[in-house]
Amino acid sequence: MKKNKIMGIAGVVLAAVLLVCSFAACGKKEAPKSDLEYIKEKGTLIIGITDYEPMNYKDENNKWIGFDTEYAEAVCAKLGVKPEFVVAANWGEKYNEIKAKTFDCAWNGLTIDETAKLNASLTKAYARNAQVVVMAKDKVEQYKTAESMKDLKFAVEDGSAGQAAAADNGLENVIAVEDQAATLLEVKSGTADACIIDLTMANAVTGEGKSYENFAIALELSQEEFGVACRKGSDLPAEIDRITEELKADGTLEKLAEKYNVVLVK
Amino acid sequence: MFWTVTLSLLQGFGKTLEIFVLTLLFALPLGLLLSFGSMSRVSPIKWLTKALIWVVRGTPLMLQLIVIFYGPGLIGTWAESLHSDNGFILWLATWRSFDRFVAVMVAFVINYACYFSEIYRGGIEAIPKGQYEAGQVLGMTKTQVFFKIVLLQVIKRIIPPMSNEIITLVKDTSLARIISVYEIIWAGQAFIKSDGLLWPLFYTGVFYLIFNGLLTLLFGYIEKKLDYFRG
Repeated sequence: MKKNKIMGIAGVVLAAVLLVCSFAACGKKEAPKSDLEYIKEKGTLIIGITDYEPMNYKDENNKWIGFDTEYAEAVCAKLGVKPEFVVAANWGEKYNEIKAKTFDCAWNGLTIDETAKLNASLTKAYARNAQVVVMAKDKVEQYKTAESMKDLKFAVEDGSAGQAAAADNGLENVIAVEDQAATLLEVKSGTADACIIDLTMANAVTGEGKSYENFAIALELSQEEFGVACRKGSDLPAEIDRITEELKADGTLEKLAEKYNVVLVK
Repeated sequence: MFWTVTLSLLQGFGKTLEIFVLTLLFALPLGLLLSFGSMSRVSPIKWLTKALIWVVRGTPLMLQLIVIFYGPGLIGTWAESLHSDNGFILWLATWRSFDRFVAVMVAFVINYACYFSEIYRGGIEAIPKGQYEAGQVLGMTKTQVFFKIVLLQVIKRIIPPMSNEIITLVKDTSLARIISVYEIIWAGQAFIKSDGLLWPLFYTGVFYLIFNGLLTLLFGYIEKKLDYFRG
Protein backbone atom coordinates (compact mmCIF):
# COMPACT_ATOMS: atom_id res chain seq x y z
CA MET A 1 0.00 0.00 0.00
CA LYS A 2 2.55 2.51 1.20
CA LYS A 3 4.90 1.68 -1.64
CA ASN A 4 2.17 2.32 -4.18
CA LYS A 5 1.44 5.70 -2.67
CA ILE A 6 5.09 6.75 -2.90
CA MET A 7 5.26 5.53 -6.49
CA GLY A 8 2.14 7.55 -7.25
CA ILE A 9 3.59 10.74 -5.82
CA ALA A 10 6.86 10.16 -7.69
CA GLY A 11 4.88 9.73 -10.90
CA VAL A 12 3.02 13.01 -10.44
CA VAL A 13 6.22 14.89 -9.63
CA LEU A 14 7.95 13.41 -12.68
CA ALA A 15 5.06 14.38 -14.93
CA ALA A 16 5.12 17.93 -13.55
CA VAL A 17 8.85 18.23 -14.13
CA LEU A 18 8.50 16.98 -17.71
CA LEU A 19 5.68 19.44 -18.37
CA VAL A 20 7.68 22.42 -17.09
CA CYS A 21 10.69 21.31 -19.12
CA SER A 22 8.71 21.07 -22.35
CA PHE A 23 7.25 24.55 -21.78
CA ALA A 24 10.71 25.92 -21.24
CA ALA A 25 11.91 24.27 -24.41
CA CYS A 26 9.00 25.72 -26.37
CA GLY A 27 9.70 29.22 -25.10
CA LYS A 28 13.24 29.18 -26.47
CA LYS A 29 12.79 30.29 -30.05
CA GLU A 30 15.75 32.65 -30.65
CA ALA A 31 19.18 31.26 -31.55
CA PRO A 32 20.87 30.00 -28.35
CA LYS A 33 23.76 32.10 -27.07
CA SER A 34 27.15 30.46 -27.13
CA ASP A 35 28.84 29.81 -23.78
CA LEU A 36 31.49 32.42 -24.53
CA GLU A 37 28.83 35.05 -25.30
CA TYR A 38 27.03 34.12 -22.08
CA ILE A 39 30.21 34.67 -20.05
CA LYS A 40 31.19 37.90 -21.79
CA GLU A 41 27.69 39.25 -21.29
CA LYS A 42 27.68 38.70 -17.54
CA GLY A 43 31.26 40.00 -17.35
CA THR A 44 32.67 37.44 -14.90
CA LEU A 45 34.31 34.08 -15.26
CA ILE A 46 33.53 31.92 -12.25
CA ILE A 47 36.54 29.70 -11.70
CA GLY A 48 36.21 26.64 -9.49
CA ILE A 49 39.37 25.93 -7.50
CA THR A 50 40.73 24.23 -4.42
CA ASP A 51 43.40 25.71 -2.15
CA TYR A 52 46.44 23.94 -3.52
CA GLU A 53 50.03 25.13 -3.82
CA PRO A 54 51.52 26.06 -6.28
CA MET A 55 48.35 26.38 -8.39
CA ASN A 56 45.89 28.39 -6.28
CA TYR A 57 46.72 29.50 -2.75
CA LYS A 58 46.64 32.59 -0.60
CA ASP A 59 49.55 34.88 0.26
CA GLU A 60 50.04 36.51 3.66
CA ASN A 61 47.57 39.28 2.71
CA ASN A 62 44.88 36.66 2.06
CA LYS A 63 45.03 37.35 -1.68
CA TRP A 64 44.82 34.47 -4.17
CA ILE A 65 48.13 33.76 -5.87
CA GLY A 66 49.64 30.76 -7.62
CA PHE A 67 50.36 29.67 -11.18
CA ASP A 68 46.76 28.95 -12.15
CA THR A 69 45.52 32.10 -10.38
CA GLU A 70 47.83 34.42 -12.31
CA TYR A 71 47.39 32.47 -15.55
CA ALA A 72 43.59 32.72 -15.26
CA GLU A 73 43.82 36.43 -14.44
CA ALA A 74 45.93 37.02 -17.55
CA VAL A 75 43.44 35.12 -19.72
CA CYS A 76 40.47 36.98 -18.20
CA ALA A 77 42.15 40.32 -18.85
CA LYS A 78 42.34 39.46 -22.55
CA LEU A 79 38.79 38.11 -22.54
CA GLY A 80 37.56 41.35 -21.00
CA VAL A 81 35.90 39.66 -18.02
CA LYS A 82 36.54 39.62 -14.28
CA PRO A 83 37.82 36.38 -12.75
CA GLU A 84 35.91 35.18 -9.70
CA PHE A 85 37.64 32.40 -7.78
CA VAL A 86 35.33 30.11 -5.91
CA VAL A 87 36.65 27.36 -3.68
CA ALA A 88 34.75 24.17 -4.45
CA ALA A 89 32.95 22.83 -1.40
CA ASN A 90 33.57 19.41 -2.87
CA TRP A 91 36.09 19.05 -5.70
CA GLY A 92 34.50 15.74 -6.71
CA GLU A 93 31.38 17.67 -7.75
CA LYS A 94 33.22 20.04 -10.09
CA TYR A 95 31.59 18.74 -13.28
CA ASN A 96 28.10 19.10 -11.80
CA GLU A 97 28.95 22.62 -10.69
CA ILE A 98 30.00 23.43 -14.25
CA LYS A 99 26.86 21.87 -15.66
CA ALA A 100 24.72 23.81 -13.17
CA LYS A 101 26.56 27.03 -14.19
CA THR A 102 27.65 27.68 -10.60
CA PHE A 103 31.16 27.40 -12.10
CA ASP A 104 32.10 28.41 -15.62
CA CYS A 105 35.22 26.28 -15.51
CA ALA A 106 37.43 24.22 -13.21
CA TRP A 107 40.97 25.54 -13.38
CA ASN A 108 43.16 24.07 -10.66
CA GLY A 109 45.86 21.70 -11.88
CA LEU A 110 43.14 19.50 -13.28
CA THR A 111 44.52 16.26 -14.67
CA ILE A 112 43.33 15.43 -18.19
CA ASP A 113 41.98 11.90 -17.89
CA GLU A 114 39.07 9.86 -19.24
CA THR A 115 36.65 11.20 -16.60
CA ALA A 116 37.52 14.78 -17.50
CA LYS A 117 37.11 14.10 -21.23
CA LEU A 118 33.75 12.49 -20.63
CA ASN A 119 32.33 15.26 -18.42
CA ALA A 120 33.72 18.46 -19.86
CA SER A 121 35.19 20.23 -22.84
CA LEU A 122 38.87 20.70 -22.21
CA THR A 123 41.54 23.12 -23.27
CA LYS A 124 44.82 21.83 -24.63
CA ALA A 125 47.26 20.76 -21.92
CA TYR A 126 49.16 23.79 -20.62
CA ALA A 127 51.34 22.22 -17.94
CA ARG A 128 52.43 18.77 -16.98
CA ASN A 129 53.50 16.73 -14.04
CA ALA A 130 55.00 13.28 -13.74
CA GLN A 131 55.99 10.81 -11.08
CA VAL A 132 59.75 10.48 -11.36
CA VAL A 133 62.43 8.28 -9.86
CA VAL A 134 65.11 10.36 -8.15
CA MET A 135 68.46 8.93 -7.04
CA ALA A 136 72.14 9.83 -6.70
CA LYS A 137 73.47 11.39 -9.91
CA ASP A 138 76.29 8.87 -10.35
CA LYS A 139 73.89 5.92 -10.29
CA VAL A 140 71.44 7.25 -12.87
CA GLU A 141 73.41 5.75 -15.77
CA GLN A 142 72.82 2.19 -14.56
CA TYR A 143 69.07 2.49 -14.32
CA LYS A 144 67.32 3.43 -17.52
CA THR A 145 64.15 1.34 -17.23
CA ALA A 146 61.71 0.39 -14.50
CA GLU A 147 62.72 -3.22 -15.14
CA SER A 148 66.33 -2.51 -14.16
CA MET A 149 65.16 -0.94 -10.88
CA LYS A 150 63.36 -4.03 -9.61
CA ASP A 151 65.96 -4.76 -6.92
CA LEU A 152 66.22 -1.22 -5.60
CA LYS A 153 64.56 -0.07 -2.41
CA PHE A 154 62.19 2.85 -2.92
CA ALA A 155 60.84 5.49 -0.57
CA VAL A 156 57.42 6.94 -1.44
CA GLU A 157 54.93 9.21 0.27
CA ASP A 158 52.18 7.17 1.82
CA GLY A 159 49.01 7.33 -0.28
CA SER A 160 50.64 9.38 -3.04
CA ALA A 161 50.55 9.08 -6.81
CA GLY A 162 54.20 8.01 -6.52
CA GLN A 163 53.18 5.01 -4.45
CA ALA A 164 50.63 4.08 -7.12
CA ALA A 165 53.25 4.53 -9.85
CA ALA A 166 55.59 2.13 -8.02
CA ALA A 167 52.85 -0.50 -7.85
CA ASP A 168 51.91 0.00 -11.53
CA ASN A 169 55.51 -0.54 -12.56
CA GLY A 170 55.99 -3.66 -10.49
CA LEU A 171 58.39 -2.05 -8.02
CA GLU A 172 57.75 -3.98 -4.85
CA ASN A 173 60.51 -3.07 -2.41
CA VAL A 174 58.85 0.10 -1.17
CA ILE A 175 58.82 1.91 2.17
CA ALA A 176 55.96 4.37 2.75
CA VAL A 177 56.95 7.50 4.68
CA GLU A 178 55.24 10.68 5.93
CA ASP A 179 55.73 13.01 2.99
CA GLN A 180 57.77 13.72 -0.15
CA ALA A 181 60.47 15.54 1.83
CA ALA A 182 61.03 12.44 3.95
CA THR A 183 61.52 10.27 0.83
CA LEU A 184 64.51 12.42 -0.12
CA LEU A 185 65.96 12.14 3.36
CA GLU A 186 65.66 8.35 3.12
CA VAL A 187 67.72 8.31 -0.07
CA LYS A 188 70.27 10.77 1.25
CA SER A 189 70.90 8.67 4.37
CA GLY A 190 71.06 5.46 2.36
CA THR A 191 68.00 3.86 3.95
CA ALA A 192 66.46 3.74 0.48
CA ASP A 193 68.14 3.61 -2.95
CA ALA A 194 65.73 5.91 -4.74
CA CYS A 195 62.50 7.79 -4.22
CA ILE A 196 59.46 8.45 -6.35
CA ILE A 197 58.18 12.03 -6.17
CA ASP A 198 56.48 14.39 -8.56
CA LEU A 199 58.35 16.24 -11.26
CA THR A 200 57.63 19.69 -9.85
CA MET A 201 59.11 18.73 -6.50
CA ALA A 202 62.08 16.96 -8.12
CA ASN A 203 62.94 20.05 -10.15
CA ALA A 204 62.62 22.27 -7.12
CA VAL A 205 65.01 20.32 -4.87
CA THR A 206 67.73 19.01 -7.18
CA GLY A 207 69.05 22.35 -8.41
CA GLU A 208 72.49 23.76 -7.66
CA GLY A 209 73.03 24.98 -4.12
CA LYS A 210 70.23 22.76 -2.80
CA SER A 211 70.69 19.98 -0.25
CA TYR A 212 70.08 17.40 -2.96
CA GLU A 213 72.19 18.82 -5.76
CA ASN A 214 73.86 15.41 -6.22
CA PHE A 215 70.51 13.83 -7.02
CA ALA A 216 69.05 13.48 -10.48
CA ILE A 217 65.92 12.22 -12.18
CA ALA A 218 66.48 8.71 -13.52
CA LEU A 219 63.12 7.96 -15.08
CA GLU A 220 59.56 9.21 -15.53
CA LEU A 221 57.19 6.48 -14.39
CA SER A 222 53.84 8.05 -15.12
CA GLN A 223 52.79 11.32 -16.67
CA GLU A 224 49.86 13.61 -16.33
CA GLU A 225 48.89 16.81 -18.09
CA PHE A 226 46.86 19.72 -16.79
CA GLY A 227 44.03 21.43 -18.64
CA VAL A 228 41.04 23.65 -17.95
CA ALA A 229 37.62 21.99 -17.81
CA CYS A 230 34.70 23.94 -19.31
CA ARG A 231 31.09 23.14 -20.06
CA LYS A 232 30.52 20.31 -22.51
CA GLY A 233 30.31 21.71 -26.04
CA SER A 234 31.43 25.20 -24.95
CA ASP A 235 33.45 27.49 -27.21
CA LEU A 236 35.41 28.78 -24.19
CA PRO A 237 38.26 26.19 -24.35
CA ALA A 238 39.18 27.17 -27.91
CA GLU A 239 39.28 30.84 -26.83
CA ILE A 240 41.48 30.03 -23.80
CA ASP A 241 43.79 28.04 -26.10
CA ARG A 242 44.05 31.00 -28.47
CA ILE A 243 44.86 33.43 -25.63
CA THR A 244 47.33 30.92 -24.14
CA GLU A 245 49.26 30.95 -27.41
CA GLU A 246 49.51 34.74 -27.11
CA LEU A 247 50.66 34.48 -23.48
CA LYS A 248 53.28 31.96 -24.51
CA ALA A 249 54.45 34.14 -27.37
CA ASP A 250 54.96 37.21 -25.17
CA GLY A 251 56.71 35.21 -22.44
CA THR A 252 54.08 35.79 -19.73
CA LEU A 253 53.43 32.11 -19.17
CA GLU A 254 57.11 31.20 -19.08
CA LYS A 255 57.71 33.80 -16.37
CA LEU A 256 54.85 32.39 -14.32
CA ALA A 257 56.14 28.85 -14.76
CA GLU A 258 59.53 29.91 -13.46
CA LYS A 259 58.03 31.79 -10.53
CA TYR A 260 55.92 28.85 -9.35
CA ASN A 261 58.16 25.99 -10.50
CA VAL A 262 55.62 24.55 -12.92
CA VAL A 263 56.61 22.57 -16.03
CA LEU A 264 54.90 23.91 -19.17
CA VAL A 265 53.82 21.75 -22.07
CA LYS A 266 56.01 22.76 -25.00
CA MET B 1 34.20 -1.48 8.11
CA PHE B 2 34.21 -0.97 11.86
CA TRP B 3 35.89 -4.33 12.36
CA THR B 4 38.37 -3.82 9.57
CA VAL B 5 39.37 -0.54 11.18
CA THR B 6 39.48 -2.03 14.69
CA LEU B 7 41.67 -4.91 13.55
CA SER B 8 44.02 -2.61 11.70
CA LEU B 9 44.25 -0.27 14.69
CA LEU B 10 44.86 -3.20 17.03
CA GLN B 11 47.74 -4.22 14.81
CA GLY B 12 49.13 -0.69 15.06
CA PHE B 13 48.56 -0.72 18.81
CA GLY B 14 50.64 -3.91 19.01
CA LYS B 15 53.60 -1.92 17.72
CA THR B 16 52.77 0.87 20.19
CA LEU B 17 52.83 -1.60 23.08
CA GLU B 18 56.05 -3.15 21.83
CA ILE B 19 57.76 0.25 21.93
CA PHE B 20 56.23 0.97 25.34
CA VAL B 21 57.24 -2.30 27.04
CA LEU B 22 60.76 -2.46 25.60
CA THR B 23 61.44 1.19 26.45
CA LEU B 24 60.42 0.62 30.07
CA LEU B 25 62.45 -2.57 30.27
CA PHE B 26 65.68 -0.85 29.25
CA ALA B 27 65.11 2.72 30.43
CA LEU B 28 64.23 1.90 34.06
CA PRO B 29 67.64 0.35 34.92
CA LEU B 30 69.58 2.71 32.63
CA GLY B 31 67.91 5.64 34.36
CA LEU B 32 69.14 4.40 37.74
CA LEU B 33 72.66 4.13 36.35
CA LEU B 34 72.44 7.69 34.99
CA SER B 35 71.16 8.99 38.32
CA PHE B 36 74.25 7.52 40.01
CA GLY B 37 76.33 9.21 37.32
CA SER B 38 74.76 12.60 37.96
CA MET B 39 75.36 12.22 41.72
CA SER B 40 78.89 10.85 41.29
CA ARG B 41 81.76 12.37 43.25
CA VAL B 42 84.04 11.91 40.23
CA SER B 43 83.44 15.22 38.51
CA PRO B 44 84.07 14.19 34.84
CA ILE B 45 81.43 11.46 35.17
CA LYS B 46 79.08 13.86 36.90
CA TRP B 47 79.41 16.59 34.29
CA LEU B 48 79.25 14.22 31.33
CA THR B 49 76.03 12.72 32.66
CA LYS B 50 74.61 16.16 33.38
CA ALA B 51 75.50 17.29 29.85
CA LEU B 52 73.79 14.23 28.35
CA ILE B 53 70.67 14.86 30.39
CA TRP B 54 70.71 18.51 29.37
CA VAL B 55 70.89 17.65 25.65
CA VAL B 56 68.27 14.90 25.81
CA ARG B 57 65.81 16.84 27.92
CA GLY B 58 66.52 20.03 26.03
CA THR B 59 65.63 18.83 22.55
CA PRO B 60 62.38 17.35 21.18
CA LEU B 61 62.14 13.57 21.08
CA MET B 62 60.95 13.90 17.49
CA LEU B 63 64.22 15.53 16.52
CA GLN B 64 66.20 12.87 18.42
CA LEU B 65 64.40 10.16 16.45
CA ILE B 66 65.32 11.81 13.16
CA VAL B 67 68.95 12.33 14.19
CA ILE B 68 69.41 8.78 15.50
CA PHE B 69 67.78 7.16 12.48
CA TYR B 70 69.03 9.29 9.60
CA GLY B 71 72.20 10.64 11.23
CA PRO B 72 74.56 7.65 10.89
CA GLY B 73 73.49 7.06 7.27
CA LEU B 74 73.95 10.73 6.40
CA ILE B 75 77.43 10.74 7.95
CA GLY B 76 78.30 7.50 6.14
CA THR B 77 77.27 8.69 2.68
CA TRP B 78 78.92 12.06 3.27
CA ALA B 79 82.23 10.37 4.28
CA GLU B 80 81.99 8.12 1.21
CA SER B 81 81.58 11.12 -1.07
CA LEU B 82 84.90 12.56 0.21
CA HIS B 83 86.89 9.66 -1.37
CA SER B 84 89.58 10.11 1.26
CA ASP B 85 92.29 7.61 2.32
CA ASN B 86 92.25 8.87 5.88
CA GLY B 87 91.59 5.93 8.20
CA PHE B 88 89.06 7.82 10.27
CA ILE B 89 87.10 8.98 7.23
CA LEU B 90 87.18 5.43 5.84
CA TRP B 91 85.75 4.20 9.11
CA LEU B 92 83.03 6.86 9.02
CA ALA B 93 82.18 5.77 5.49
CA THR B 94 81.15 2.37 6.81
CA TRP B 95 78.41 3.95 8.92
CA ARG B 96 74.87 2.95 8.02
CA SER B 97 71.51 3.75 9.54
CA PHE B 98 70.10 1.31 12.11
CA ASP B 99 67.00 -0.65 11.46
CA ARG B 100 63.95 1.61 11.96
CA PHE B 101 62.71 -0.16 15.04
CA VAL B 102 66.18 -0.28 16.59
CA ALA B 103 66.51 3.47 16.04
CA VAL B 104 63.16 4.03 17.77
CA MET B 105 64.29 1.92 20.73
CA VAL B 106 67.64 3.72 21.06
CA ALA B 107 65.98 7.13 20.99
CA PHE B 108 63.18 6.24 23.40
CA VAL B 109 65.41 4.40 25.87
CA ILE B 110 67.97 7.22 26.08
CA ASN B 111 65.26 9.87 26.29
CA TYR B 112 63.24 8.18 29.00
CA ALA B 113 66.30 7.03 30.95
CA CYS B 114 67.27 10.69 31.32
CA TYR B 115 63.84 11.69 32.64
CA PHE B 116 63.74 8.66 34.93
CA SER B 117 67.24 9.42 36.25
CA GLU B 118 66.13 12.84 37.46
CA ILE B 119 63.14 11.28 39.23
CA TYR B 120 65.44 8.69 40.85
CA ARG B 121 67.86 11.41 41.89
CA GLY B 122 65.09 13.41 43.49
CA GLY B 123 63.91 10.34 45.37
CA ILE B 124 67.38 9.34 46.54
CA GLU B 125 68.40 12.82 47.65
CA ALA B 126 65.20 13.16 49.64
CA ILE B 127 66.28 10.42 52.04
CA PRO B 128 67.66 12.10 55.22
CA LYS B 129 71.41 11.84 55.67
CA GLY B 130 70.81 10.47 59.18
CA GLN B 131 69.66 7.16 57.73
CA TYR B 132 72.99 6.62 55.96
CA GLU B 133 74.84 7.52 59.12
CA ALA B 134 72.65 5.19 61.18
CA GLY B 135 73.40 2.38 58.72
CA GLN B 136 77.12 3.00 58.95
CA VAL B 137 76.95 3.03 62.75
CA LEU B 138 75.32 -0.38 62.50
CA GLY B 139 78.35 -1.55 60.52
CA MET B 140 76.68 -1.78 57.10
CA THR B 141 78.61 -1.03 53.92
CA LYS B 142 77.42 1.80 51.62
CA THR B 143 75.97 -0.73 49.14
CA GLN B 144 74.11 -2.47 51.92
CA VAL B 145 72.69 0.81 53.17
CA PHE B 146 71.49 1.71 49.68
CA PHE B 147 69.80 -1.57 48.82
CA LYS B 148 68.49 -2.50 52.28
CA ILE B 149 67.42 0.87 53.67
CA VAL B 150 67.27 3.56 51.02
CA LEU B 151 65.98 1.90 47.84
CA LEU B 152 62.61 0.73 49.15
CA GLN B 153 61.78 4.18 50.47
CA VAL B 154 62.88 5.71 47.18
CA ILE B 155 60.56 3.41 45.24
CA LYS B 156 57.61 4.46 47.33
CA ARG B 157 58.40 8.15 46.91
CA ILE B 158 58.92 8.04 43.15
CA ILE B 159 55.78 6.10 42.21
CA PRO B 160 53.62 9.22 41.56
CA PRO B 161 56.14 11.07 39.33
CA MET B 162 57.04 7.79 37.62
CA SER B 163 53.43 7.00 36.76
CA ASN B 164 53.23 10.46 35.21
CA GLU B 165 56.25 9.78 32.97
CA ILE B 166 55.08 6.30 32.08
CA ILE B 167 51.67 7.52 30.96
CA THR B 168 53.42 10.17 28.87
CA LEU B 169 55.52 7.40 27.32
CA VAL B 170 52.38 5.60 26.11
CA LYS B 171 51.40 8.69 24.17
CA ASP B 172 54.93 9.57 23.01
CA THR B 173 55.14 6.26 21.13
CA SER B 174 53.07 8.01 18.45
CA LEU B 175 56.24 9.87 17.44
CA ALA B 176 57.71 6.66 16.00
CA ARG B 177 55.72 7.16 12.81
CA ILE B 178 58.04 10.03 11.90
CA ILE B 179 60.59 7.41 10.82
CA SER B 180 57.96 5.09 9.38
CA VAL B 181 57.50 2.69 12.27
CA TYR B 182 53.82 2.00 11.73
CA GLU B 183 52.12 2.42 15.09
CA ILE B 184 48.46 3.08 15.82
CA ILE B 185 48.23 6.73 14.73
CA TRP B 186 49.75 5.80 11.36
CA ALA B 187 47.20 3.00 11.08
CA GLY B 188 44.41 5.48 11.84
CA GLN B 189 45.69 8.06 9.38
CA ALA B 190 46.02 5.47 6.63
CA PHE B 191 42.23 5.38 6.40
CA ILE B 192 42.12 9.08 5.56
CA LYS B 193 44.37 8.50 2.57
CA SER B 194 42.93 5.19 1.35
CA ASP B 195 39.22 5.42 2.20
CA GLY B 196 38.63 9.09 2.97
CA LEU B 197 37.58 8.17 6.52
CA LEU B 198 38.42 10.55 9.33
CA TRP B 199 36.88 8.73 12.29
CA PRO B 200 39.53 5.96 12.56
CA LEU B 201 42.08 8.63 13.54
CA PHE B 202 39.87 9.81 16.41
CA TYR B 203 39.04 6.23 17.29
CA THR B 204 42.73 5.63 18.10
CA GLY B 205 42.18 7.84 21.16
CA VAL B 206 39.96 5.13 22.65
CA PHE B 207 42.85 2.66 22.64
CA TYR B 208 45.15 5.11 24.43
CA LEU B 209 42.44 5.96 26.94
CA ILE B 210 41.68 2.36 27.82
CA PHE B 211 45.35 1.43 28.16
CA ASN B 212 46.18 4.49 30.26
CA GLY B 213 43.11 3.78 32.37
CA LEU B 214 44.50 0.34 33.13
CA LEU B 215 47.90 1.84 33.95
CA THR B 216 46.29 4.36 36.31
CA LEU B 217 44.50 1.55 38.14
CA LEU B 218 47.75 -0.41 38.34
CA PHE B 219 49.67 2.52 39.82
CA GLY B 220 46.87 3.20 42.29
CA TYR B 221 47.10 -0.42 43.40
CA ILE B 222 50.89 -0.27 43.75
CA GLU B 223 50.70 2.93 45.80
CA LYS B 224 48.19 1.30 48.11
CA LYS B 225 50.38 -1.77 48.49
CA LEU B 226 53.33 0.39 49.50
CA ASP B 227 51.20 2.35 51.94
CA TYR B 228 52.24 0.28 54.96
CA PHE B 229 55.70 1.58 54.37
CA ARG B 230 55.55 4.96 56.02
CA GLY B 231 58.94 6.70 55.82
